Amino acid sequence: MDPLNASTDYERIFHPERIAIIGVSGKGAGFGARLFYSLRAIGYAGEIFLVNPKGGQLDGHEIYESIEAIPGGFDLAIIAVAASAVPEALEACRLKGAAAAEILSAGFSELGTPEGMALEKQIMDVAARGIRVIGPNCFGMYVPKSGLTVLPGPDLSREPGPVAFSSQSGGMAVDFANMGKSTGLTFSKVVSFGNGVDLRETELLDYFGQDMQTRIIAMYIEGVKNGDAFFKTLKKVAAHKPVIVMKGGLSAAGSRAVLSHTASMGGSARIWEAILKQANAVQVFDMSEMARTCLAFTHLQPGTYRHISVLGGGGALGVAAADAAEAVGMKIPPFSPDLKTRIDDLLPRPGSSGANPVDVANPFVAPQVLKDVLLLAAEDDRIELQILITLFHHYKTIAQMMGMPVKDIVPYNELAVGVAEVIDKTSKPVVLILNNPKRGLDHMDVVEMIEEARRAFLKRGIPVFDDLKEAMGAIGHINAYYGGKTDE
Amino acid sequence: MNKDAALKIINAARHRGRTMLSEYEAKKVLCHYDIPVTREKLITERRGLEYAVHEIGYPLVLKGCSPDIAHKTEKNLIRVDIRNFDEAVHAYGEINAALDGASGGVLAQEMIPGRRELVMGMTRDDQFGPCVMFGLGGIFTEILEDISFRKAPIDARDAMQMMQEIRGRKILDAIRGMEAADTNALAEILIRLGQIGLEIDAVAEIDINPVIISGSRPVAVDALIVLRPQ
Repeated sequence: MDPLNASTDYERIFHPERIAIIGVSGKGAGFGARLFYSLRAIGYAGEIFLVNPKGGQLDGHEIYESIEAIPGGFDLAIIAVAASAVPEALEACRLKGAAAAEILSAGFSELGTPEGMALEKQIMDVAARGIRVIGPNCFGMYVPKSGLTVLPGPDLSREPGPVAFSSQSGGMAVDFANMGKSTGLTFSKVVSFGNGVDLRETELLDYFGQDMQTRIIAMYIEGVKNGDAFFKTLKKVAAHKPVIVMKGGLSAAGSRAVLSHTASMGGSARIWEAILKQANAVQVFDMSEMARTCLAFTHLQPGTYRHISVLGGGGALGVAAADAAEAVGMKIPPFSPDLKTRIDDLLPRPGSSGANPVDVANPFVAPQVLKDVLLLAAEDDRIELQILITLFHHYKTIAQMMGMPVKDIVPYNELAVGVAEVIDKTSKPVVLILNNPKRGLDHMDVVEMIEEARRAFLKRGIPVFDDLKEAMGAIGHINAYYGGKTDE
Repeated sequence: MNKDAALKIINAARHRGRTMLSEYEAKKVLCHYDIPVTREKLITERRGLEYAVHEIGYPLVLKGCSPDIAHKTEKNLIRVDIRNFDEAVHAYGEINAALDGASGGVLAQEMIPGRRELVMGMTRDDQFGPCVMFGLGGIFTEILEDISFRKAPIDARDAMQMMQEIRGRKILDAIRGMEAADTNALAEILIRLGQIGLEIDAVAEIDINPVIISGSRPVAVDALIVLRPQ
């Protein structure tokens, strides 16, 4: 098994004070120069040293002609030279005392050529002598706290948060970091490790398990290097932190020619499902499900939420809510007649219903009323979590009549303040659904208003989802994780 | 448990270049790992029939038993509910004809009463090594594929989860006048299968299908063990 390498200085890797970028064109083109721009755009505050044998300058920054010429040492190297020059550059970085190098260059084992394989082997040999390697063929790391960012990530958020993400695919890493920015996820560390010759899934998982800044671990996996080590580490880490895994490339059938039914049915899809369940990890099947699940784990306290109330409106609310809840083993218990009557009294008539789910019948019910309904519903001792479905898009009609921008008339701020008070008073979480079927070009004002609203709720620690069913799926994952844990 | 005795059977088969055990040999291996199997006698010559059926008693089952044939039903090699010696002689003749010169013999075994059939097995995953399977057995194995897996070694809790995970889990409850299945005994079999996978490298795949629930007690009624090529 791959134990956490005690000699690895993760602090220097993730929070480097001095970075060397090896392979920077003075013309500003290429990976090296682009990453330099990205680091400056996101506001990395440490020192950056540029290296290119031709020397010269880039935007007033001196380009050193060799790694050796850099004055003093550096913590992290970012290598973006041609594949054939990588081993030598890596060795020079090691001699300079760098803790790690992220190698953006491609042209290694992913080509499947003997030359590519041989070069990758040389990288491994240098790494074994005492420098950690991320990559090659990767986008690098994104660490909001230190201002480290991936190649296409000049505009990512600097707000640190509890989610760590490791990914074999650089594209997935960038996409997830971007999704995070738009859905309210915040990160401790995002690592794209590409071919993963050295530092890769199992060791990163082990590290994230111990990292004080990481509460939630997400992983995109194509293959693991050592199944036994991965499983043991996953089981160990998932026992105290949620680990959310998306496995790419699953097949239903076993790959080899086999005689038994057991082997023919044991394809990678079933085995991975089994492995993840056995370790009490959470399996998701696409990146947006992963983002929603991480968001739910970010904002909801550890525990299970099996009995919920649903308040709001929308098409066939009662049926849709019941179906979605049942699919993930949650219940929407009807309120007592007394409680129902007290809720009914607050709601506009006719068309509303104070039973659970509570149909408010009208998208323009005042935030104060919604707040009072939430407070009443929370009086039912069985209720562990409340879901509030808003229909803000309906305000567009009113905005047009009044000749005002829609975002100026939707009371999302007032509602966000009210919901936060409810959560405070009742100690029961509220999850918000920002339902919006108006997303076309003629409704960009609605889209903008919805995003403003999302921000207002997220700012107060209220998780926001676009869809009731998706929210319940994410909460279902929380129940499965903490339910599986308490069985220990 | 007797790993060495199990290994002896496996090594003898490998020594002869075989990549499969006969049902008779497979059940002996399972037996050495304390997995409950049917009482049975292997008949290699016609004159052994009378003694074998006497030992097992009626009603009984006769099966063609050859390390060259993985799936017997397809080859018409099984006769069940044999109630007297005349029927046994007749069935024996038919099975021998169907064997068509394949090595092995005819297996006389007790007929296990019970309407609930399960499947249990072991396979080796390229990445995760030996994995244990549980599911609905008999013809439903292939039709419904209602199964669950775990990586070996498994503990009792893993085994219970495997049983709870299949859609047809109610088959283990007390239903339609039948007793609830002994899930502890079932868990024990699953644990043992994982143990075989971990301890005996030469075993590539195992199918026990069906495991019949007789009363509450599971019994391995048919078994297939595939060996790794040398």
